[in-house]
Amino acid sequence: MTDIRAPQDAAEDESQLAFPEDGRNAVQASAAAATATADDGDGAGAGPAAGWGWFRWAWRQLTSMRTALVLLFLLALGSVPGSILPQQGQDPAAVQNYFNSHPALAPWLNHLGLFNTFAAPWFAAIYLLLFASLVGCVVPRTFRLAGQARMPPPRAPRNLGRLPHSESYAVALPPVQAVAAAAAILRGKRFRLRHPAADEAGGWVSAEKGYLREAGNLLFHLALLGVLVSVAIGGLFGYKADKLIVEGQTFSDTLTALDEFHPGRLVTGSDLAPFQLTLKQFSASYYTSGESRGQPSSFDARVSYSSSPGAPSRPYDIRINQPLNVDSVKVYLIGHGYAPEFTVTDAAGKVVYDEAPPFIPANTGTFLSDGVVKVPDAAPDQLGFIGVFVPTGVTAGGILDSAFPAPYNPAVSLLGYAGDLGLNSGLAQSVFQLDTSAMTKITSRPFLLQPGQSFTLPGGRGKITFTGYKQWASLAVTYDPGQVPALICGMLAIAGLLLSFLVRRRRVFVRAVPAAADGERSVVTVGGLARTDASGGFEDEFTELVAQLSSGEATPRSIIRAPRGAPDGKATTSGAQQPASHDSKTDPGA
Amino acid sequence: MVGDGTVRLGIVRKRRTIASVAVVTVVLLAGGLAVTLTSGSGQATGVTHVDGNPSAVLYPAGHRAQVPDFSGTTLTGTKLNFAGYRGKVVVLNFWGSWCGPCRSEGPTLAALSAKYQGSGVSFLGVDVHDSPVNAAAFEQDAGIKYPSLNDPGYAVALTLGNTVPISGTPTTVVVDPTGHVAGAVFGPVTYSVLNSILTKVTA
Repeated sequence: MTDIRAPQDAAEDESQLAFPEDGRNAVQASAAAATATADDGDGAGAGPAAGWGWFRWAWRQLTSMRTALVLLFLLALGSVPGSILPQQGQDPAAVQNYFNSHPALAPWLNHLGLFNTFAAPWFAAIYLLLFASLVGCVVPRTFRLAGQARMPPPRAPRNLGRLPHSESYAVALPPVQAVAAAAAILRGKRFRLRHPAADEAGGWVSAEKGYLREAGNLLFHLALLGVLVSVAIGGLFGYKADKLIVEGQTFSDTLTALDEFHPGRLVTGSDLAPFQLTLKQFSASYYTSGESRGQPSSFDARVSYSSSPGAPSRPYDIRINQPLNVDSVKVYLIGHGYAPEFTVTDAAGKVVYDEAPPFIPANTGTFLSDGVVKVPDAAPDQLGFIGVFVPTGVTAGGILDSAFPAPYNPAVSLLGYAGDLGLNSGLAQSVFQLDTSAMTKITSRPFLLQPGQSFTLPGGRGKITFTGYKQWASLAVTYDPGQVPALICGMLAIAGLLLSFLVRRRRVFVRAVPAAADGERSVVTVGGLARTDASGGFEDEFTELVAQLSSGEATPRSIIRAPRGAPDGKATTSGAQQPASHDSKTDPGA
Repeated sequence: MVGDGTVRLGIVRKRRTIASVAVVTVVLLAGGLAVTLTSGSGQATGVTHVDGNPSAVLYPAGHRAQVPDFSGTTLTGTKLNFAGYRGKVVVLNFWGSWCGPCRSEGPTLAALSAKYQGSGVSFLGVDVHDSPVNAAAFEQDAGIKYPSLNDPGYAVALTLGNTVPISGTPTTVVVDPTGHVAGAVFGPVTYSVLNSILTKVTA
């Protein structure tokens, strides 16, 4: 134990004191010093050797920040055609129209998959590469951060006076005990300590605090991975469906009852939550005066639902931003409109139609709405009507219009047809469109009806009665199992980011050297180093710490015991040890 | 961390980390791609198609799902319980007067119900999302005499749940005398296909 290996301190490189960089491809500073050229992953110039080298080079390129940014930009760019051009999934009819109006261009766009952008292979390639790039960047960084969060502080540098902060004081204790006293105080202040190893020269202690910064950074990266995984879970196991439902109607959350169903990759119809929902009443209120006259002020869809067949039925009010939650399936209100109700009596005097077909708002400001009435079982011919519904009817210059979205003066205008609706051909038809190709017009011009009024059809074909109106609501049924995890991960990511921004990592080194030949008095030098001390504060902390260390020193009772593995006092304080070169600062009198 | 050996070790470990991360990513991507390509191709075992028609299926004995019991009111106002059909083959047809394919298969179903009357086969319609007035007018036009449950809210389809994957109207389910699903036609039936199913199930 008398072997004092002072020269070993010479290995203490200044670079080891520096904190690891925060850059994306930062490597540990100590390793970087030795392998600076080979390991600079971001450098595009790093030439591959062969085989494994090529692969490593490609992987480096893929996971570099630059590539991720380019991919992110491409993803945004790639989504543009999806919002400009009509999409097959959302509106096949509009795609067909586009084909008709651009016969030369459309097939080319179709070859590029631009009518189904979000399912196109090139679009999938972009987001899969982006995902790979993010994972490939974040995972190794996570390991590195975990390593950093566990790393002990470096050895105390030889010359603490060169650090940004340093102070010295004299104490009436041998150096080893002086250092032990300082270590006890630092430990009490929750610093992580590093003592000299058994075979090292003693008389110093390193302390570091603020590892929460690395923990926060780690949390941020793990949470980022969590967000990616959550989004993937949502995409695989979630689904979205739409349903238009008229007041008084019921629908079941089963495949056949839904108007549209967009399942996730691993979802089938049998995975739907088996609830049933009845729209009791829908009401919307509108501002009746002022600048926003006619704008909606509130929507309220009063429903009753049961979570499974036979379960008790419960009431609920679905409003905007207040969805119904059934077994973590959410039912949102996404639209509304009017459904005028008609009865039709045919030539034989039989009531062959009694329904409230939903009309689609053509003007969302006034709710002037379009729709059709199909009477396939009228005798002698099928009947069809193209209609316009106005909630607040006004006639200006012989043209019917709506003055307000609320039903203050509801009216319908209808144009009648007779012939073949095309329904019996076996082809599915839109309930919002009338195919008049095999029909003849039976009314020369539209006729106007108010609630309760009837119109006798020409040629003894019977009559149609506008019995009243109902309202309909359009509901979105969504299930996204990744939503809550994504939210939690998002919050954790922000928390981690805050920690890594707010917590400073700072290092404090203490060295003691004998002040006199008898070794009973020492000069203690304290050095401090803070990382990213932009907000300041470390200087004050350091001054206060030095004050506590030097005053704590005055009461030898606070010394608990000498640190484990430290050389005993006599050996350390032997004259063989080469005192560190002192500058004027270390003079006790300074 | 400073000696030459440590640095070398660091590089090796680093290379290994890159390799493992790359492998994990590739496996994840491949797995995702596989899931993407194979999803929806799952097929119940032992199912056979009728006359090579992919939308008409027969389930062999032992692979038939039990139909849960359901009840309701018919279009003419009579209470009806499905359990009352036990002991007979039941042709359960989901339809609506608004649905083009249902209208086109209506006369076929009417003809087959007449043919199998008295052979232990009962026809039962489930009229979904419809107005009873419109439905009654259609039944009269198509000559359908058998009863139909008035089911505007798709309650029967919900009750059947996973026993038969009903994805739209029309769907026709053939239930054997023990109350199990023996066959189904997804989409409009043709005379020959439903006749062939009924011949096999009643045999």
